[in-house]
Amino acid sequence: MIDHEHYRRALLADPRNEEPMILAHRAECDHCKDFATRLLTFEARLERAIKDDPKPTADVLPFDRPASRPTRRPRWLALAASILLGVLAAGGFWVAAPRSSLAGEVVNHTVHEPQAWNMREPVPAGVLDFVLKRANMSLDPHAPAVTYASACQFRGYLVPHLVVRSAQGPVTVMILVHETVAIPTNFDEHGYRGTIVPVPGHGSIAVLAHAPTSTAADLDALAKTVRNAIVWGPT
Amino acid sequence: MDRIVGERDAAHFQALCQSLRPDLLRFAFWLCRDHALAEDVVQESLLRAWKAQESLQDTKAAKPWLLTIVRRELARSFERKRLNTVNIDDLVAGEEPSLAARQQDDLAEMREAIFKLPEDYREPLVMQVLLGYSTAEIAGELGLSTPAVLTRLFRARHQLRTLCGEDTSQDPPA
Repeated sequence: MIDHEHYRRALLADPRNEEPMILAHRAECDHCKDFATRLLTFEARLERAIKDDPKPTADVLPFDRPASRPTRRPRWLALAASILLGVLAAGGFWVAAPRSSLAGEVVNHTVHEPQAWNMREPVPAGVLDFVLKRANMSLDPHAPAVTYASACQFRGYLVPHLVVRSAQGPVTVMILVHETVAIPTNFDEHGYRGTIVPVPGHGSIAVLAHAPTSTAADLDALAKTVRNAIVWGPT
Repeated sequence: MDRIVGERDAAHFQALCQSLRPDLLRFAFWLCRDHALAEDVVQESLLRAWKAQESLQDTKAAKPWLLTIVRRELARSFERKRLNTVNIDDLVAGEEPSLAARQQDDLAEMREAIFKLPEDYREPLVMQVLLGYSTAEIAGELGLSTPAVLTRLFRARHQLRTLCGEDTSQDPPA
């Protein structure tokens, strides 16, 4: 059995440490359980501080055109290209492919937080509340167990990024208050299967899992469960 | 084993770099504190990676492989030019206005605190929090023992909590 100091040092080195001796100590010591809750709240803040900044300024790889290494162009050429791109984007992009990348961005975000699916212990209530309050919401007791919760930057807004445990394994849930969709949209991208469902008056919810483990029906059902479990705060 | 072989996998390699680039950029930024330099370092690193892609035997190892290249490129940058020493407050308020202008004061405070950590503590912390590295993986990348990494991570969070004014009076007794 470890002592308080060992526990404190271990958790400060890794707040998500779930070694049996750590969990055993936490189960028997309320003082250390409270410490873990406070530390995970601090950790959520640390994660956001590190992950949300800086935003990549461009997704252009240096070898997108492998035949010629990028060279510095005159400023006027860059400016003209920017204006042309802006005109094209404003005039044509939204007509040609409106909102087509929302699912892709949800998948991309999930791919970049792989550790989120490895958590097995329920997130302490304090951490979950902290994350959900940012979206002016809470979850009722019938919601599936949440094993990961983080407020993440997504399309310019901080959104709750959760992982819940389902019968088919971990499932990512993103509460997209600022993204409105007209109808439920299923997607299957890069090995991930998911759905984005509308939440009238509150944007939408994205739910996704590894494609082999969950069917579209599983995810539709989970999205409905989560949607029904959300308690929205006063606006 | 999922091996990169020749030009037919160029698109695969490109997609791999595309997916890892944001994290590499953030990693470089937290070490060098400079957006522009981080961009340059990551672009240069990806070019080096592109040229050396034959040496990547397993795509599952791509992340640590690229991270190592970025760390080396950063070290080269530090060797090439002696970076200016800046006052952290000036840096946050001026050179990186996007940080200071953040709506969330608590995150700005946290970022300022992260910058104040010694690099020996900041680097493993960023690897753990940003990249999801285990203690053993950090030890392997930095050439340290696992206990040494644990000590640095412990000290990093201990200092961060102090810098952020966290109430530690209710912590478990030492």
